[in-house]
This record gives sequence, C-alpha cells and structure tokens, in this order.
Amino acid sequence: MLQATLAKRRGAFALDVALEAPEGATLVVVGESGAGKTTLLRLLAGLDRPDAGRIAVGERVYCDPAAGIEIPAWEREIAYVTQDYALFPHLTVRENVAFGLRARGIPRRDARVRADAALERLGVAGLGRRRPAELSGGQQQRVALARATVTGPRLLLLDEPLSALDPGTRRAVRGELRSLLAGLAGVTVFVTHSPLDATVFGDTIAVIEDGRLTQVGARDELLRHPRSAYVATLLGVNLLQGSVVSRDAGGVAHVRTADGTLAVADPGVDGDVWVTVHPQEITLYAQPPAGSAQNVFRGPVVEIVPEPPAGDRVRVALGTSPPLVAEVTRQAVASLGLREGVSVYAGFKATGVKAYQ
Amino acid sequence: MPPGRRVGTVLWEIGVLAATGALLAFLGLPLASLLLRVPPGELWARLAAPASLTALRLSLVTSVCATLAVTALGLPAAYLLAMRRFPGKRVVEVILELPMVLPPTVAGVGLLLAFGRAGLAGRALGALGLSIPFTTLAVVLAQVFVASPFFVSAATAGLREVDARYADAAATLRATPGYAFRRVLLPLALPSVLAGAAMTWARALGEFGATIMFAGNLPGKTQTLPLAVYIGFQTDLQSAVALSVILLILSFTVLLGLRLAHRPPRVPWVGRAAGDAR
Repeated sequence: MLQATLAKRRGAFALDVALEAPEGATLVVVGESGAGKTTLLRLLAGLDRPDAGRIAVGERVYCDPAAGIEIPAWEREIAYVTQDYALFPHLTVRENVAFGLRARGIPRRDARVRADAALERLGVAGLGRRRPAELSGGQQQRVALARATVTGPRLLLLDEPLSALDPGTRRAVRGELRSLLAGLAGVTVFVTHSPLDATVFGDTIAVIEDGRLTQVGARDELLRHPRSAYVATLLGVNLLQGSVVSRDAGGVAHVRTADGTLAVADPGVDGDVWVTVHPQEITLYAQPPAGSAQNVFRGPVVEIVPEPPAGDRVRVALGTSPPLVAEVTRQAVASLGLREGVSVYAGFKATGVKAYQ
Repeated sequence: MPPGRRVGTVLWEIGVLAATGALLAFLGLPLASLLLRVPPGELWARLAAPASLTALRLSLVTSVCATLAVTALGLPAAYLLAMRRFPGKRVVEVILELPMVLPPTVAGVGLLLAFGRAGLAGRALGALGLSIPFTTLAVVLAQVFVASPFFVSAATAGLREVDARYADAAATLRATPGYAFRRVLLPLALPSVLAGAAMTWARALGEFGATIMFAGNLPGKTQTLPLAVYIGFQTDLQSAVALSVILLILSFTVLLGLRLAHRPPRVPWVGRAAGDAR
C-alpha cells in the first residue's frame, strides 16, 4: 500500500500530487516530458526532499517533513530503475544484481545464488560474467529489472522502462515486463509518456499535466470518462488483446480476441498483438450498416457519459462483445434515440483499428 | 584559397611549431646536460656509494610514508569537497590548495613555528617529551604539507566526475554512503585517485625547501636525495649529477606512466529517449 502526497517547487515549476495504490498494484503516471514524472519518482525514492507532504508505504512512514521524518533513500525498501538503467560499469552483471543484497549484509554466496535466480527469471541467465558495456539495450534493461526486483522491494519505481529500447525490443519486452509486474508483491509506480504503455501496464492510471494529477482512475474509467481533452486523446482508447489469425491481400488482418474477431490494419506481424480503436472511429447505427465498415458489433447501450471533455461529443459505453466505447455527437444520440438499454450496431473500418505487438 | 590567407596559415603553423620547439629546447637542454654529464658506468658507481644509497633509501621511505598519509587523510577530504555542500567550503578548498603555490621555504618556517619548541603544537608535544623538528618524521610532515594538494585536487576532480546517477542507484539499492563510496564511487574514480597519489609521491620525492628548513640536513636522518644533490653540488659535482639523474628518471617515469595508464573509461551506453529533465 502506497500513500503519498507531495509538493515540490523548483523555479517556476511546481509539483503537487497525491497518490494511492494498493499492494500488488501497478500505478502508471502518464504525462509529457517536463510534466514532473521524474521529479515525482526521485521524491518517492528519497533522492530529493519534498517541500511538504507525506510518503507512507504500508505501516512505514518514509517522509513527513511536518513531523520531522525523512528516511534516507538507503533505508527505504524501494528499488528505482532509471531511464538509462545506471548499471555500474565496473561490476559484472552478477555483481550488479547482487549489489542490493550485499549492501544489506547478505553473505556473498547467498547473494550470488539469488542474483543468478533473478537473472534466470528475466531470461538473461547466461550473462552473469559480462560487463554492462557488453550488453545490448534490451539485455541491460532486463539486468536493471533483475537488480531492482531481487531485493523484493515494497515500492518499485520505474522511469520510462521501455523508452531506451529500439521498437523491436520494446515490443518483446512489453509482454515480459507485464507478467513480471503482475507477479510482484509490492506497489509499482511506472512513469511513462506513452499512452499505450499506460493502458497496457496500469491497473490505475494517473495523468500528470504540469506537475498536477488531472485525472486518476482505472483504464476503463479514463476511457469512459476522460475529464480533459488530453486524457481523451491520449488514453481514451479501446484496448483489446488478441492474436493475428489471417490476413487479406488488401492490407487487412484479422485478430481474434477473447470476445470476437476484428478486422484491423495489417500490423505486418504475427502472433499476439494489442489492438486499439479510438472511440471517434466508431459510428453507431440503429440498423445493420451497409457501408464500408468491416467491423460491426451489436449490443446494448450501457452508459451515456453526460459530461463531454470537449465540444459536443459524448461517450457511449456499449455492452457489445468485446465491450467498446464510442464517441458520437449529441445530435447522433438524439436522432438514434440512444439511452441505456437500447440495442445499437457499432461499426468501424479496419483502417481505424491499429494493432501493435 | 587567396594567397594572403595561405601565407597567414603557413606563418601560423611556423609560429606554433617554433614556440613549442623553443620551450621544449629550453626545458630539455638542462635535462639532456644532466644525462650526458656522467658516463653510465661512473653513474652506477656514484650511486652505489654509501652516502648516495642512504639518501636514496631515506627519500623512498619518507616519500612513500608521506603519500600514504596524504591518501588516508586526503581521500575523505576529497569526498567531502566532491559530494557535499557546506558553509565555508570555498575557504576550505583554498586552504587545502594553498601549499601548491606557497614557497616551500614559507611552509618550512610555518612548520617550524607550529611544531618547534615554542610553537602551538610543539609546546603540547614537548610536554609529552616529543620533539619533531630535525627528525625523519619532520621530513615526512614537510612532504605531506607541500604534496597533499596534488592528491586532494586530483581525487576531488575524479570523484566529482563520477556520474551522479551511479551514486543515486547505489542509494536506492540500500547502500549506505560509506558502502556506496567503497563499492561504487572509489572504484569509478580510481584512475584519478591513483594519478593524484602518483603526483603526490613525485612531489614528495622532490621536496627540498620545507625539508631543509624544518628537518635540517642530517645524513641518514633527514638528508633526502634533493638535499644530497644540493650538498653534493658544493663538494662533489659528479655525485650531485648522478643523484639528479635518478630523480629525473623517477619523475619522468611517473609522468609517462600516468599518461600510458590513462584509458578512457568504458561506460555502458544506452540510447536516451527525449528525457524528462525534471
């Protein structure tokens, strides 16, 4: 359990946030460069001091300036993976991973066994004797994650863990990282500028804009009720998981999800993919559409979100299979007679659906 | 290229080479003269003379002791200067640097006034029955005084150059400041620290002014190589030259060794995406 309220001024920039996450959860903080994501992580890690606020992890209070509490970084049960990993260049991979164990007095032999096990878990078992400079970016990233997680931290801080990787490696690592995080006991705070990573990794997503959290919620919540144009554009997308089962000559591939099959713009890859459909791509019809939409799903209106983030468009949550959120105009709502429980057809073109590996 | 520019470029090249050559010749001529003065065979015989060997041994022992003392005290000082901010830091830096530019004779007078019989520290030590001036310990103290800035400045610069993200990473992996220093900072700064120690040793080996003021010129006790050269210059020129050659070779070896040992450190490189500056 993480509870943190933090305020920090630095020149004209001010960070002012409150965060909460239950044990085992991944909290993604998503925002653009300069929004204060790294500042936030450094405060949680104890590398910088907040002007005001409080950090509690479980029963332990790490920081509470008002009460005179400031636990130094090395006394906090945390781990922090920075954007560039900061692997110690003079130590071998195994020594890097064992470092956190040795630093808390665990005997060399035990530390070594646990380090090797952590490397094996991350699929880089053979690299123990190498130096960081001899590794590829993806290997360095796995070693950094092994070094961070081997100590069983109560709070794992990840700063853009995928951004330093080339796109091919990033795709491969995304899935691995997701299952790694799902298996961790403590709280993970994951900061990223990537909306896709936010939706893939976040049990809870916090959107940070200019030092403030403008919206915090589960992914579905942000999808249905984006409270700002920024959130609607970046995060308010339908996200589905499936695998490519076939492809047509016309650049269209078919992806089977747990709830149905979608026609998508051919991602050029096979196997498991993430599929995103922007709510604006979805058109609602009272009758089966006869147009060019390759994807048509029928289902009841579950909810019509009354407060649009911008303009006159409203979000309509549908009980289709798979469940979808569409964004339509108020006029469409009126002319289709949409209200909760009314059955509609949702149609969208394959070209409006993006698949990522 | 227009002729005027070409002539200018040629003149620039000639000027640069001529100035460098003149300086090199000026510095090299006395060194070459030392090397050419005594035939190699006689050089060896002069060095093997008991008086020479005594001075050589004393110089080696005292300069090594001084280097160890400077390292032991200077490393924590360098850590403090490199890693921490505190009031009066500039003044502390100047004091630690001062002996580098202070005339060694001034250092000798100061040491004598401090540790002499009537001095601030000397009186306290005298009460304990200890007297430092004109002992081998005084030689070491004089060397520590004049040579310590070389170590402190090199080690401070080396520690400062270690990327802060390694110290941060160590701290988040539960390394106390002391553990992080031993396992991360010091190993990464080691080339600079060793270079500082080597410079300190070379400076201590060549120490003359403060030594003769504070420790005197007692053969076997305080007469180091540079002092023996000075004395020999008045009595036995060939011996003085032979000892000078030894000092020259040692100094040359230290400096060349430092340059050969300096290799650019290998640091893992990862592509940085548009980083979050805050």
